[in-house]
This record gives sequence, C-alpha cells and structure tokens, in this order.
Amino acid sequence: MVELKNVSFRYGMEESGNLHEASLDHVDLTVQDGEFVLLTGPSGCGKTTILRLINGLIPHFYPGVTKGSVTVNGRSVQERELYETALQVGSVFQNPRSQFYNVDTTGELAFGCENRGLPEKEIYARIDDTVRRFGIEKLMDRNIFRLSDGEKQKIACASVDVAGSEIILLDEPSANLDHTATLALREMIRLWRARGKTIIAAEHRIAYLWDLIDRAVILRDGKILKELSGEEKNALTDEELSVMGLRSVTPEAPDEINLPALKESDRTMVLRDFVLSYPGAKQPVLNLPELRLAVGEITAITGANGAGKTSFLNCLCGLEKRCRGTLEYEGKRYDRKARQKLCFMVMQDTGNQLFTESVLDEVLISLPKDMAGGKERAAELLKRLDLDGFPDRHPQSLSGGQKQRLALACALASGRKLLLLDEPTSGLDFAHMMETAELLKQLRDMGTTILVVTHDSELIRACCGRKLSFDAR
Amino acid sequence: MAYSSERSQDARRGFLDPRTKLTLVLVLAVFVMGGLGGEALRPVKTILSALPFALLLAERQWKRFARGILMLGIGYGLLTVMPFLPRALNYLALLCGGILTRFVVTVVMGEYLIATTSVSEFISAMEHLHVPQAITIPMSVMFRLFPTISAEWKSIRRAMRMRGIHLGGAKASQVLEYQLVPMMTSTVRIGEELSASALTRGLGGPTRRTNICRIGFRAQDAVLLAGCVFVVGVWTLELCGVRLW
Repeated sequence: MVELKNVSFRYGMEESGNLHEASLDHVDLTVQDGEFVLLTGPSGCGKTTILRLINGLIPHFYPGVTKGSVTVNGRSVQERELYETALQVGSVFQNPRSQFYNVDTTGELAFGCENRGLPEKEIYARIDDTVRRFGIEKLMDRNIFRLSDGEKQKIACASVDVAGSEIILLDEPSANLDHTATLALREMIRLWRARGKTIIAAEHRIAYLWDLIDRAVILRDGKILKELSGEEKNALTDEELSVMGLRSVTPEAPDEINLPALKESDRTMVLRDFVLSYPGAKQPVLNLPELRLAVGEITAITGANGAGKTSFLNCLCGLEKRCRGTLEYEGKRYDRKARQKLCFMVMQDTGNQLFTESVLDEVLISLPKDMAGGKERAAELLKRLDLDGFPDRHPQSLSGGQKQRLALACALASGRKLLLLDEPTSGLDFAHMMETAELLKQLRDMGTTILVVTHDSELIRACCGRKLSFDAR
Repeated sequence: MAYSSERSQDARRGFLDPRTKLTLVLVLAVFVMGGLGGEALRPVKTILSALPFALLLAERQWKRFARGILMLGIGYGLLTVMPFLPRALNYLALLCGGILTRFVVTVVMGEYLIATTSVSEFISAMEHLHVPQAITIPMSVMFRLFPTISAEWKSIRRAMRMRGIHLGGAKASQVLEYQLVPMMTSTVRIGEELSASALTRGLGGPTRRTNICRIGFRAQDAVLLAGCVFVVGVWTLELCGVRLW
C-alpha cells in the first residue's frame, strides 16, 4: 500500500533561500495493493512530483522541502535508503533516450536484479520468463541505440517486470510513442494488472488506459481537484475533461481521421525523386518518386514509428546529402542546398536548436542579415508569440512549451515559406496542445505552408486541413 | 525454440576478457603513444601497433578497422611527402603526420575496448579487480554517455545547418559556442535522468552485485598478457643497460 499523508513539497534548497513555488500542497492519497491509479492534470500540476516522492528520488536525488509523510507498505520512503525502496517500487520514465544504463538490451533487463545481487541462474530464468510473456524475443541482444522509441519503452517496461517490483510507477510513458506502440504499452500494463501489480501512472494522453484504471486522480496546481472512479469516471464527457485541462478519453488512431491529402482547388508544390536509402539496407527508408502537397495549408503526416517520417523532413529540409530529390514550389525549382534556405524545421528536441545566450539574440540571428530595424522586428515577433516578458532569459532555461514558441519565432523571423514540425505536441497537456494548434493556424493564415509530423489525433483534429499517411513497408 | 538468455550470453562472450583489453590500452598508451623505451624497443612497438587492428578483424569490426587504417595511412603519407613540400606546409605536414602516427594506434585500441565491451562486462571486470564502486560507477556511465554525446552532437549540427549557421559564414566566430551550449545542457540533463533511473533500480546498494555476463581469462588472454609482461620486462632490462638485440 502506498500512502501520502498531508504532503506538501517545494523544489530547491532551503539553506540558500532558493525555494521554488509549492509543487504539492497538502495532498492526501492512498493507493491499495493491486489498484491502478491514474494521475493526470495540466503540466506543472504535481503528478511527476508525486511519483518521485513514492520512488524516493525525492528527497534522495531531487532536493527540496517535504512536509507530511510518504510510506510504501508502511515504511517511510524519506527515512529509507533509495536502494531499499527500489526493491518494491519500479519506475518507467518519459524519455526513452535517458533511462538505460546499459548499451545492450539483455544487460539492461538484468540490471535491477544484478544490483540486488540475485544469483545468475535466477536472473536468466526471470529474463526468459519476461521475454516470453511480453513477446520481445526480437529485441533481445540488440544495441539500445538502434531501437525505435517504442521498442525502447518496451525494454524499459520489461526491465521493471524482470525486477519483479510489486509497485510500478509510470511517468508519461507514452509521450514519445506512436499509436501502435501506445497500444503495445497498454498490453503490457494489462499483463501487470492480471498479475495483481499496483500501478500508478502519470499521463496527459489518458485515452489508451482510461478503461483499465480503477481510479483517476485529477490534479491542478499541486492540489487534488477530483477523484473519479466507477460510474462517475465512465460518465465523464470530453467537454468536462477539457474544462479541467485534460485530453480526450476516447482513443482515436490518426488513421481513423478522414482528411484528404489534397483538394482539387489546392495550389500544389511537387516533390520529385525523394528517395533515401542507407548503405547496406535492403529497402530504402523513403521512396517517393512524385508527391504533391498543398501550399498554404497545414498537412499532417502520420504513420508508424520507423515509417520514414523524420527522414522525410530531413530530406525536405536539405539535410540529407544522399537524397537528390527536387522541390517545385511557386514555379521555382529548389535543389537540396536551395531548400535549406526555404524550409525551417522545429525539431522534436527543441533545446538542441537554440544556440544563443538570450531569447532576443536567438530571434536576431534568424533575421535576414542586411535587414534594417532588426531589433524592432524581433521584439514584435516575441510579443506575438507571448515571449516578450523575458528577452534576456537564457533559451535553455525556458520550459518546453516556451522553447517551442521561441523556435517558431525564429522560423517567422527567418521569413522562410515552408515550416516543418516534428511531433510538436508529444508530452503537451490539453491547453498547450491547443495553444500550438492556434499558433499554427495563425501562421498558416499569414501564408506559411506547414507540414506536421504527428501521432497526436487531437492536434490533427484541432488544426490540420490535409493528411498524408506514410505506411511502413 | 524459446529464447534463452543464458545461451545468448554464452554466444556473445567477447574474444578477450575486459581486463586484458584494459591492460593492452594501458601498455599501448605508455609505450606507443607515450614513446617510453625509445628506439631500442622499436621492433616490439611495431608488433604492439599491429595488435589493435588484428583484434578489430578478429571481432569483425570492419568499419573501425578501415577507419583506423585510413588515418594511419594519412599519417604516414604526410610524413613521406613532407620533405617535398614548401616550408610552411612542411611543418604542418610534420605536425599532423607526427600526431596521427603516434596517437591513432592507441585510439583504435580504446575504440576496440569501448565497442566490444558491454557495460555489464566492464563493471564485472572492475569488481574482479576490487576497484571500489565510487570509481566503477562514474566510469561505466561514461561508457553509456559516449554514444549519447555523439547522437546529440549530430542532432545539433543538423539544427545549425538548418538555421543557416555555417563555419566560414558571418557568424563563424561564435559557431563553437553555439554548438557547445546546447550540447552541455542536453548532456547534463541526460546524465541526470540516467542517474535517477539507475538509482530507482537499486544501483549503489551495499549488496554485492552479481553479473550475468561471461568474463574470465582464456588462452588468448594469457598469451596477450604474457606479451605485455614481456614488453615491460624488455624495457626494465633496457633501463638496467641490458640490450636483448
């Protein structure tokens, strides 16, 4: 049993007077053995903080001031060492890139058991059992760096399973997953349910597990807003959910949304010979002899992880030397080099595309070199994207949503006609997702052609007018 | 047939024990890169230099082998053409050639170590050597961070090209800074998340760890380790003024 009694928490150091605002504010929560509880709510509502209190990362890894008591099976998490809590509590994190200690998958599955000193024979037996039940034979003995995000998340779940934890914490495990991979995740959670594991999940995308949970705890600003179970939970409508800042509970595959790839009245741009293959690979990652896309519209690009969507964006941007395709746009032909000046891409990891020391500088370096009145133009763009309060902040210190808006401001400043986005709303809550959708519509109305690679059905519903599906071969 | 992790671990066992690989890196660093022993040890050093390449071939690391040979070839090529070059280029060629011929072999050996040793094997080897956890854990994290850093580096380079920031462009002076800032931020973040994840899985407890990987000395290890002892022996004798040839 997991129990939080009257818990408040603030990140930061008390001694240095560097305390943040309260992340949790007098929270009471009890999770019974074998229960599946969903924690949800807008970004910053405190759901991740609750998970960190239960697995002991707070206070043992992330410093802060905790009040109240957190116990797992009657023992205080704060007073116990992390490795003691680790015997009972297993965690799966959001970012598939940074939760693996090993480079090979089999070593990763064994890691938790090795740490607690189980005999080798027993570890082998446990791994084989998990591999069989999860059906992941194909992922064994592989280099983790060569797996897709969906496959990585499977390995993360499998390693918790091998460790045999009775309590399983999931921190936005689906944030980077496509529809199919999300369903696979759901399947693994179902297997745990059947074994009577206690599961606590923090999620924005709640549709895929809504019918599996016993109880939903809705948080806002560090407080529990509502707890729903049984009839109450089932009767909830999407409108009531969006008022609470939550996403839809009806799962919908991007493929189920009916949008044309192109309408007859559309002005079009033509892509020719977009073919990309890696040396040694049998089949090309990308094979598009000719493709027409709508100009001045927002086109969603969907398809499974590994269908070549990101490669497509890289080729279109002119970042792939091996791709010799050309683009015909507004009567002009653009080869690879020329496309680098025509397209702007907002990457999935926005932090990697912001380089300067201040928000203002970031926009300034994007403006055309000889432009007069650059400062005024930059200030105007920051204002339009709701970033005008802090021109001197370091871009790397911004929140995820702010970084994304700053990247969009740079795109506008560059004056490039073609805007490409790679999964812009993975891991965003309802309000921020809608904000991004609104912004994209504004940019479209200003004449920008937008392509969005996404598996977020709600985003597609909110702003896309065209849809193109990439099938895995 | 059902998957068996035990069988697959046996099949994956490396050609050499990690401890042998570490010893070889050390010996190469001291004698080939560091130049200890001078001219007298030249024949020994030639054999030592061929070793990492032979090992890469034995473990079918074709790409690394080709890259190493290429770099070495460039190094010797530069030294060969150096006397025929005009003055300024002459020095440059000497410098580059000298650095390449000296460093490449040891770097290739290091690459071999990292490419063919899993984190688990490394930790296991260090435990057999009774190295304390305080040293083993940060070193094993480094193993994990190298590929991460290279992936991040590629992604940042791409982003820079996309945004039109080039070496040689108007903003060339700042290019390095532009690369390092996001690089450091993301590496620190990934390192932090990595530690958090490892801690929730019980790393750092007082229990003695077990390891599922197979390590241990075999004939090939014995031969190579004897070789290392021999090199050190020859060097000691030489220090005492005894010449073997």
